Amino acid sequence: MIRDLTWLDFAYLVYAMRWTIALTALALVGGGLLGFVVAMLRVVPLAPVRWLAVGYIQALQGTPLLAQLFVFYFGFAIFGYRVQPWVAATAAFSIYASAFLAEIWRGCVQAIPRTQWEASAALGLSFGEQLRHIILPQAVRIAIPPTVGFLVQLVKNTSLAAVIGFIELTREAQITTAATFKPFAVYGIAAGLYFCICFPLSELSQRLERRLRVAR
Amino acid sequence: MSLVRIENITKRFGPLTVLDGVSTTVEPGEIIAVIGRSGSGKSTLLRCINGLEPIQGGRIWFEDQLVNDPATDLRRLRQQVGIVFQSYNLFPHLSVERNITLAPTVVKKMAAGDARGLALDVLKRVGLEDKIAAYPDQLSGGQQQRVAIARSLAMQPKMMLFDEITSALDPELIGEVLRVLEAMAKSGMTMMLVTHEMGFARNVASRIIFMHQGKIWEEGPTAKVLGSPATPELVSFLGSVLH
Repeated sequence: MIRDLTWLDFAYLVYAMRWTIALTALALVGGGLLGFVVAMLRVVPLAPVRWLAVGYIQALQGTPLLAQLFVFYFGFAIFGYRVQPWVAATAAFSIYASAFLAEIWRGCVQAIPRTQWEASAALGLSFGEQLRHIILPQAVRIAIPPTVGFLVQLVKNTSLAAVIGFIELTREAQITTAATFKPFAVYGIAAGLYFCICFPLSELSQRLERRLRVAR
Repeated sequence: MSLVRIENITKRFGPLTVLDGVSTTVEPGEIIAVIGRSGSGKSTLLRCINGLEPIQGGRIWFEDQLVNDPATDLRRLRQQVGIVFQSYNLFPHLSVERNITLAPTVVKKMAAGDARGLALDVLKRVGLEDKIAAYPDQLSGGQQQRVAIARSLAMQPKMMLFDEITSALDPELIGEVLRVLEAMAKSGMTMMLVTHEMGFARNVASRIIFMHQGKIWEEGPTAKVLGSPATPELVSFLGSVLH
């Protein structure tokens, strides 16, 4: 039975946005923590550790996010573990985000002039003290715009979680389309809602970038 | 006992030999000016002394510590040997005060109140106590370099290395930095400077080391080396810097 597209459907779509936002937030926290560790491993003065971090980043950046999602959702089921869609989605997106954030942050750390390492080493600071007091405070400042930029990608990419049955904005749109058979209108609304999340973030990123240029 | 003993050291950057069998010593209280053309190995020699550059041959001793031994605690060594760089290398995100107090509080675990007193004290020595709250980008090049000197002094080193510290400065700012160095020299600090300021070297240094092609070509008391150079290379170098 095909029914009309009503305001209630619109309300459901808006309501489903909360899972898009929640998944993005979880992935940002999980991916941020993991990504920070990987970024640090990427700059330690120990070559084998750096290679390990490079391997991790390459493996994740070189495989499709969709495949990573399937590994977590279907892959573990083979071994008899039933993974809830939201668990699989959170894990997959966290790991995906960690690889990209690690690479962004590694670049920010390496953008700090070598002379800052040298000057702090010459004062007797250890590697950890150099990072904490000299390098990271300067790197964080330049890391904010690209990190927010990646966040925009992350918001849009969470739509892939729809394929493993995680009911976020895109999945809700699929369900609504099935009931109303108005794909153009429904997906148009869904796209508009994504835009409502992403546009302010992009603006924020650009504002931060401008402020960065004048800030100390 | 010598403060520093450099024994036949070799330093290579890939196929390029930058230091080729260099030996010398530094006695406490000496002020040594290292001169020579660019690429002669002067800065590298300086940077080897506090372990910023690893060496491929020979030995460097600072008091009883073998600098080029992997087992040596370079952090401890660097608390005793300060270095000031050509490009100041202040920490741009920290105030002048924090630039100075960071290493004493973090590395030497000095209390914050004591560290602030120390910062004021060393800033007075470079004539910048009124800039304690400023940030590096609010200072002129000469002021930044004086803060960098104060930052090194705050670690109370036994010796200071100066790597062409006036080369990046506008001519009218060089004087204020040289005056700080002169005052330090008078206070008895052991100093080794790579410099192009021949007038300064003549007036302040007790010994001159002239480097050429990675070797110590000539060295000796300032008046003797500059007054009667023994090699044509030094004659030609002095001719080129004095005109």
